Amino acid sequence: MSTALDRQIRPIYDALDTGSNKSAIVACNKLLKKHPKNELIKALKALALVRSQKVEESLILCDEVLDLKPTNDAVLTAMMHVLRGLGRHKDMVTMFEEAYKQQPSNEELGAQTFFANVRAAQWKSAQQIATRMHKQFQEDRYLYWSVMSAVLQANDVSTPIAMRMLLYKLAHRLLTSSPTPSYLNADRFHLHIFILRELELFDEARKLLDSDVGKTICATNLSCDELRRDIWQRCGMIKEEGERAQMRIVEDQNRNWLEFLSVLNATFCYLDPSQNDSSSTLSEGAKVHCAEHITRTQELFTRLALEDGSKDRSSMLGLLELEGRARKYGLSTSPARLVTLMEHYFEEIGDKACCFEDLKPYLDLEGNECLKWTSFLEATPASFNSPNELRRLINSHKLLRHGLSQSELTVEAESARALLYTKYFMDGLQLGVALPSSELQPADDFALLAGNAWVSLWNSTSDESYLHKAVALLEFALTRSPQSFQARMILIRIYRLLGAPSMALEHYRIMQIKQIQHDTLSHLILSRASTFSLAATGDLTLATECLESTQIYLSNSQETGDFIVRAFTSEKYSQIPEFIEFEDRLDNSLQRDIVKMEHLRMRLAHEPITSDIIDMELIELKFIFDRSHHDNRDFDIITNYQPQGSSSINDQTHLFGKAEGRGWLGAFLKLYIRAFQHGSDLDDTVEEKLLIGDRPKQSADLEKKPLRERLLQRQDEEIAELTADEVPLVDYATALANWLEPYHDYTRPPPSVVLAEAARQTELKTGHPLKGVDLQSLNGIANGNGRKDEDPPVVTEPPELVLKYFEQLKSRLLELRNNPSPVRALHLATLAQEALLLFTVETLRFRSSSVVKINKLGGLVTSFKSIRADAIVVLQEMSTELIKMADVSSTMDSRNMFTDSCNSLTTLGIDQDFLVGVAKKVTEARKKVLEGVGKGLTRVTSL
Amino acid sequence: MFKFNNINLDIWTETYGIGFYLSYLSRWPDLCCVQEAPNGRMMGYVIGKAEGSNTEWHGHVTAITVAPEYRRLSLARKMMTLLEMVSDETYKGFFVDLYVRCANTVAINMYEGLGYSVYRRVREYYGNLGIGKGGRDEEDAFDMRKPLSRDPHQRSIRMNGRDMLVRAQDVS
Repeated sequence: MSTALDRQIRPIYDALDTGSNKSAIVACNKLLKKHPKNELIKALKALALVRSQKVEESLILCDEVLDLKPTNDAVLTAMMHVLRGLGRHKDMVTMFEEAYKQQPSNEELGAQTFFANVRAAQWKSAQQIATRMHKQFQEDRYLYWSVMSAVLQANDVSTPIAMRMLLYKLAHRLLTSSPTPSYLNADRFHLHIFILRELELFDEARKLLDSDVGKTICATNLSCDELRRDIWQRCGMIKEEGERAQMRIVEDQNRNWLEFLSVLNATFCYLDPSQNDSSSTLSEGAKVHCAEHITRTQELFTRLALEDGSKDRSSMLGLLELEGRARKYGLSTSPARLVTLMEHYFEEIGDKACCFEDLKPYLDLEGNECLKWTSFLEATPASFNSPNELRRLINSHKLLRHGLSQSELTVEAESARALLYTKYFMDGLQLGVALPSSELQPADDFALLAGNAWVSLWNSTSDESYLHKAVALLEFALTRSPQSFQARMILIRIYRLLGAPSMALEHYRIMQIKQIQHDTLSHLILSRASTFSLAATGDLTLATECLESTQIYLSNSQETGDFIVRAFTSEKYSQIPEFIEFEDRLDNSLQRDIVKMEHLRMRLAHEPITSDIIDMELIELKFIFDRSHHDNRDFDIITNYQPQGSSSINDQTHLFGKAEGRGWLGAFLKLYIRAFQHGSDLDDTVEEKLLIGDRPKQSADLEKKPLRERLLQRQDEEIAELTADEVPLVDYATALANWLEPYHDYTRPPPSVVLAEAARQTELKTGHPLKGVDLQSLNGIANGNGRKDEDPPVVTEPPELVLKYFEQLKSRLLELRNNPSPVRALHLATLAQEALLLFTVETLRFRSSSVVKINKLGGLVTSFKSIRADAIVVLQEMSTELIKMADVSSTMDSRNMFTDSCNSLTTLGIDQDFLVGVAKKVTEARKKVLEGVGKGLTRVTSL
Repeated sequence: MFKFNNINLDIWTETYGIGFYLSYLSRWPDLCCVQEAPNGRMMGYVIGKAEGSNTEWHGHVTAITVAPEYRRLSLARKMMTLLEMVSDETYKGFFVDLYVRCANTVAINMYEGLGYSVYRRVREYYGNLGIGKGGRDEEDAFDMRKPLSRDPHQRSIRMNGRDMLVRAQDVS
C-alpha cells in the first residue's frame, strides 16, 4: 500500500477507536471514491456500519470483501471485528481458512485460523489445523494445541458419548508423539495427567507423578496436585494419600483442609465397599482396622490442635469431622465426645465470626446431648466489654436459634427473642462507636437475628406489623453500619413484600452491584419485577435496570473468547476448560433469560405492539427456548439464621412465596412464543433466510421433539412455580391461542410472499437486493397468486376460559382489597394488563379489514370486540381501585399504624422521629407504585 | 466469580470486569488462589502476577481479600506465603511487592510481620477517595517489598523507603 493512502486511512482507525463511527463512514466514502476497489477501506466501512447498528448495509460490504478472499493482515483484522459484530463466527473461520490456503507458509495466518475455530468452538477443525501446523512449523506448542482441541471436542455437549473415549485416545497418541516430555511446563504436564486420568491409565499417570520432576510440579502447583490427589484416590491409594497428607500436615505445617480430608478419607477407607471387594457386608476385621485408625488419627489431630490452639482451626475441625463420621458408622467410642469437642471448639474459636458456620454440620443433636449443648451455650455471659465477648455472645445466639424446635417457635417466644436480639444489638453498638463508617459494626449480626425472627413471625402469622419492626430496626442498623450488605438484602426482600419497590431499589443501588454480580444478584430486584413496573406510564426505571443487568452477557460474548485464545497462546491449558465453562454458564444463564422475559413484559406495556417487535422477539425467544440453562443466582448470600427445622429466610421472603426458575421461564416462554408465532408472518423457512449470524449449538444426545409439540406440553415443574394468579393467566393464554390458531394459520401469507416483501424493504433501505432471495421468481406469487384453495375455517365461539377470565379477575381483586400489603393486588392488576396485551398480539392480524373480508372472518372480529370491551371495563375498574388504595396508603393513619407496630423499639432506644421518617418513606413508596400501576392500566386500555 | 459475593460486597474489594480476572488466570493461574471453608463457602482469594525485567523481576500482589466472616483467622498470611513460594520457586523472582494505602496501618503491620518493608511511597496512587480525613495518607500508597531466595543480599529493599517519594505515573 502506498504511504500516501496509508496516511489517509489512519484517521479512519482513529475515528473507529474513539467511537466516532459517523465520521469514519464519511472518511471511508471519501476515500472509496478515489479507490473504489480497496478492500481495507471497504472492511473498515463495514466495521463502522456494524458499530452504528446499520446491519443491512454492513452485510453487503462484508460479503463483498469476503468474496475477494482477502489475505492482507489489516483487512483480515478489520473483517474479524466486523464478523464478530454480526455474530458470524463460522464465516470468520472460512475467511481465515481461505487466506491460509492461499499462503500456507504464513504461520500467523495458521494461528489465526486456529483461533477462529476456537472462537467458534469448532474443536475438530481446530485440532486438524493445529496438527497441520505442527507438521509444518515443528513447534511443540502446536502439538499441544491439537491435543487440547481433541480434549475439548471430547468434552463438548455436541459430541456423542461413544466418541469421547476415542478422542481421548487420539489426544494421548498425539501426546506420546511429542519429541519433548510434558513435564517441561506445568500446564502441559497437567494436560497430560488429565488425559491419562480420563483414560484410566493410572499406572502411567503414577509413573509421571512419582518422578522427581512430577513431585516438584505438584509441590508448587495446586491444580496439578489436585489432579494427583484424585488419581491416587481413584486407583485405590487412599491409605497412601492419607499418609502423604499426614506428612505434609506434620512436617510442612501445611494446614490445607484438603490434606485433612485425605487423612480422614484414609481413616475410613476400610469401610468403603469399593475397597472391600470380598463381600457387600462389612467384615468385623474391617471395623477393627478402622477403629484402630480412628484412634491414631484422633491422637494426631488432638496433638496438633493443642499445638495450634486458636491460631488455626483446621485440626479442631478435623477432630469434629472425625467424630461426626465415626458416629455415622457406629464406631464412636464415647457418646459425649461430640458435644465436648463442640464446646471446646466454641471456647477456642467462639470469638471468631466463622464459628457458627463451622459448627453447623454437627448441630443435629438429640435428647441429652442437645440439652447439654444448649445449657452450655446459654451460660455464655451477656457482656459487652470487648468485640471478642460480643462475637462470642452472637455465636451462642446463632447456635441456640439454629437448634430451636417447632414447639419453641410460638409467637410469644419468638417476639421475646426478637426483642432480646434488638436489646443486645443496641447494647453492642457502644463497642463500635469509634469505628469509621466504612467498617461493619461488631453488633450487626444481632440486628440480622432480630430481622430473621420477625420475618419468621410474619411468615407464620401473616401479620405485617412484624415486617414493620424488621424494617425499622434494619434501617436503623444501616445508619450505624452502612456497609452491612446483609441488612440491605433482607430489607430489599421485605420492601418488595410490603409493596414498596422504590425503597428496595434504593438499597439495591447502594450495594453497587456490577459486572458478574448482575448475573448472580440481580434476582434481588428483578425477580417478577414486572409486578412493580410503571413502564405503561412511561417510567422505565425497572426496564432500564433489566437492560443494565444484561450488559455482562454482552461483554462475556465479546471478551471471554479472547481469553480462551490468550490461554492457548500462553499455554495455560489448565484454565481453558474452565474459561469455556464460564462462558457457557453466562451465555446460558437462567437469570439472563428470566430478566429477558421480565423486560419483554414491561416492554409490551410501554411500546406500541407492532409486527416488527413481534418478529424480533419471536426469534430471540425461540433461541432461548432451546437453551439448557445454568442457574447462577446466588441465594446463599443471604445468611440464614432461621432454626434448622424451618424454611430459610431466602425461601420465606420470595415475592408471593414462589421462587421462579426453569419451570416459570418455560411456562412464560411457551405462552409468548405461541402468541408471537400467531402474530408473526415468519415461519421457519423465512426465518432461515432472514437470520444473520450463527445459530446456537445444539446438544447431541437430546432427541428433541418438534418445536410445536414441545410448546403444547405443560409440565408439573412449570405449574409448581406459578403463583395462584399466574396459573389462570397461562390457562387463558392457552385457550386463546388454541382458539385462534387455525385462523392465523389460514390467513398468514405464504413464505414466498413474506420473503418478497422483506426483499423489497431491504432494497428500499440499502439500494441492494436481499442476498439469497430471487425476487424475479417470487414476483408472480407476490402479486397475489398465492391464494389458498381450501375454504377458511369456520368461525367458532370464544372459549369459556377466555370469556370468563376478566370477570374472574374482578372478583379476585375484591378478595384482595383488604390485604394489608398491596402486592397481591398489584400482581393481579399487572397480570390483567398482560392478558389484554396478549389479546392484542393474538388479534393484531385481524385488524386489517381486508384480511377479515377476504377470509370471511367477520364473526371472529365481532367476538373480539366484545371481549376487548369487557376487558377494558375490568381494567378500568381495577385502575380506580388501585388509585383508591394509593390514596389511603399514605395517610397519617397508615403512618401511625407503622409507627405503632414499632412501639417496642422506641423503648429500646430507637428514636420516634427516625421511625416516623421510615414510615413516611414506606407509605409513600407504596402510594407511588399503586398510583403508577393504576394509571398505567388506564393507558393500556386506550391503546 | 459466581460465588464471590460474600467477599466482594465489601467496599474495599473492587469487582472488576470479566477481562480482569481472566487475564490474570490466562497468564499466572498459579499466582491466583481461592480459599474455601469446609462447607464450600469462599473465604478469601489472592490474585498476583510476575513482572519486571532483570533484577526487577518479581512477584506482585494485585489483590488480596478475605470475607468479613472469615477475618482474624490469618488467612491472608497463608495466601501470602503461597504466593511467595510460587514467586520464588516457579517464577524465580527476586522479590515480592505490593501496594497498600499509607493509612491502612493494620495491613502495614501485618505485612511487616511477614517480612515486608516499605521500598517507596507512591503519591496519589489511590485516586478514588480524594483527600479524606487522613489527609495525604489516604491516597498515597506504600510500595512494600520482601526479598526472595534469589536476592540473598537483599538488594531489592532499603531502610529509608518511607522517605522515597515517587509519582504515581512513574510506577508500573
